[in-house]
Amino acid sequence: MKTRLFKVVGGLAALALVAAGCAGEDSTGGGKDGEYRVLVLGGISAEGPLADNASTSVLSAKAGVELVNASGGIDGRKVKLEVLDDQADPTVAVTKLREAIAKGKPDLVLNSGPSTVADATLPILKQNSILSFNIGPTETSADPKAFPLNFDLSASAQNQLDAFPPYFEEKGYAKVGILHGSSSYGEVYGAAAEKTFDAAGTDVVANEEYDVASLDMTPQLEAIRAKNPDVLVLDAYGAPLGYVLKGIEKLNWNVPIIGNTSVAATSLISTEPPSGVLGTPATKNLVMQVYTSTAYDAADTDVVDLVARMKKIEPIKSTLILAYNNDALALVQAAAEEADSTDAKKLAEALLDPKVQESAVTAVLGTYRFSADSHAANPSPDEFAFISPGPLQDGQFH
Amino acid sequence: MTLIWGGLSLGAIYAIVAIGYNIVFISSKTFNFAHAQLTMVGAFVAYTGLVTWDLPPVLVVVMAALAVAVIAAVEERIAIRPVGDMHNILVTTLGASILLDGIAQLTWGTQPLTVPFFGGDEAFTLLGGRAYPVELFLIALAVLLVIALGVYSRRSLTGLALLGMAEDREAALLRGVNVRRMAFMAFVAAGALAGFAGMFVGSKTFAVSTLGAALALKGFVVLAIGGFGSMPGTLVGGAMVGLAEAYASRYLGGEYANLAVFLILITILMVRPAGLFVRTKERVV
Repeated sequence: MKTRLFKVVGGLAALALVAAGCAGEDSTGGGKDGEYRVLVLGGISAEGPLADNASTSVLSAKAGVELVNASGGIDGRKVKLEVLDDQADPTVAVTKLREAIAKGKPDLVLNSGPSTVADATLPILKQNSILSFNIGPTETSADPKAFPLNFDLSASAQNQLDAFPPYFEEKGYAKVGILHGSSSYGEVYGAAAEKTFDAAGTDVVANEEYDVASLDMTPQLEAIRAKNPDVLVLDAYGAPLGYVLKGIEKLNWNVPIIGNTSVAATSLISTEPPSGVLGTPATKNLVMQVYTSTAYDAADTDVVDLVARMKKIEPIKSTLILAYNNDALALVQAAAEEADSTDAKKLAEALLDPKVQESAVTAVLGTYRFSADSHAANPSPDEFAFISPGPLQDGQFH
Repeated sequence: MTLIWGGLSLGAIYAIVAIGYNIVFISSKTFNFAHAQLTMVGAFVAYTGLVTWDLPPVLVVVMAALAVAVIAAVEERIAIRPVGDMHNILVTTLGASILLDGIAQLTWGTQPLTVPFFGGDEAFTLLGGRAYPVELFLIALAVLLVIALGVYSRRSLTGLALLGMAEDREAALLRGVNVRRMAFMAFVAAGALAGFAGMFVGSKTFAVSTLGAALALKGFVVLAIGGFGSMPGTLVGGAMVGLAEAYASRYLGGEYANLAVFLILITILMVRPAGLFVRTKERVV
């Protein structure tokens, strides 16, 4: 009886294996002539800025689909978009992603949430051999050995910092002071900034940290001022940015300040008084690092077109830096053209080709530089601009 | 001197929060963990009144005090009154603080909002140090509040009744004090104070949903240093915490600010377990 049971189970297992083998490479999606199914994960019903960020991410995916479908789809397949509200919660994301895959495996997943969601969902995507793009990078998300079918879209702190030394040289800044927060990102940023500036031959005279729960940063600013730097590099987001600017004003310290992309993401500096500080003495010495696409330029037709496509669908609620999903679809379209296939592995290989990266009609970043060793976006320093604060309109600083 | 003004003004904010804790503690021997959040709501109401509705500051102060007093009254009815065990009140008021954080985020968002100060927003030099008008105002406000509450508690019948309740709740009840009503009124008064002070705290710190969490812990540290129930203790504790934070940040680095504060707290509690201004009572067994 026992032997017979083993035979039945063994037979069923063999059948399952044969069936899986027959499914072959086109087990993804609806086949060559079917729709190309794209799943977007985003914390649409999350709290505060996360919801606005997710809204912009989803909106950019819709705008990307519109563009790709208007120019023939992906390898001739029309793109169909499905949105999953994961509430920016890894548990919800895992549950909803598993449910969606059980109903029918998508061809592409765009993860628009924080790195915690990426951490939770990437193993599932790997297990199911699904091509994915990710906004919130994790320690291993850009490592092809860990996740061969995933690509990160956002710039790393190091990418951002690499753009500083040329700017220092242009402005003649030789001595730099750094002020950063006590968050994990802030600490990494502070250490990486010192290393990068040192390596570029800039004299880092001070590197101070502030507690992100503190209500006054004046003491740290006094400590930095005592070292007399030519410029202050600042990592701050939200209320701490306000405290730093208040502290500088209080000290009557006339030092140029360069804020990182977190500074640019704080609405306080893009809002005029009485709600914000735009146009007040607090921002007179401040420039902030942004992608060139986040600073309005009428001559940049790809970005102007993206904004128009997004606005046509619904208003843009946060900066255009969250519109990476548009670029992901453009990249996949270019890769499919090169690979003449929508197979996830072939697309991933094609995405590493510099010709594909150049030909993709992306807007948030001009060119993504994925390589065989790193699936990170790795934007070049000229993808960044240092601009004075201005009002935020349709996701761009004007 | 800039460090001293900054440290003292920060200490004054902590002291104002600690005063609110004390009012509730004296009247009912309980802690309202949501008191710092009430101050945060006061800052947001002030923002709405001053910026959104463009109302005169005097009207906004009254509006903030009344609005937060009503919220405090509701909190007392749903998070304190129905709870029998004193220890459980710690949990229910903690729950109220989380609720207030969430409501503030949903109503006003998570970005910092500027609360203008009626005395101007330009820093000036005083005794060789730089300070904002609101910082000096906060220092003065904390001192005045302690003096006023000290006088009130010793000169008015209500104040004396509150002191009696703090000393022995049952004895006060036997002497005809409506203990429950007095505790409720003290809770509401602490709420009104939080709303009133929230307007000025917001001018120094912005109206932001994380404000309550930032103030709550330091307010308790100030209370522990000065002694639970002691009003002058809040001033001394506030000054110590504010200055320790400022000096540690300046000369040791921002990462040592909290360490310095808690080192002071532990040292004081080892020497005087009940705080600087409260004597330990011997219990007869």
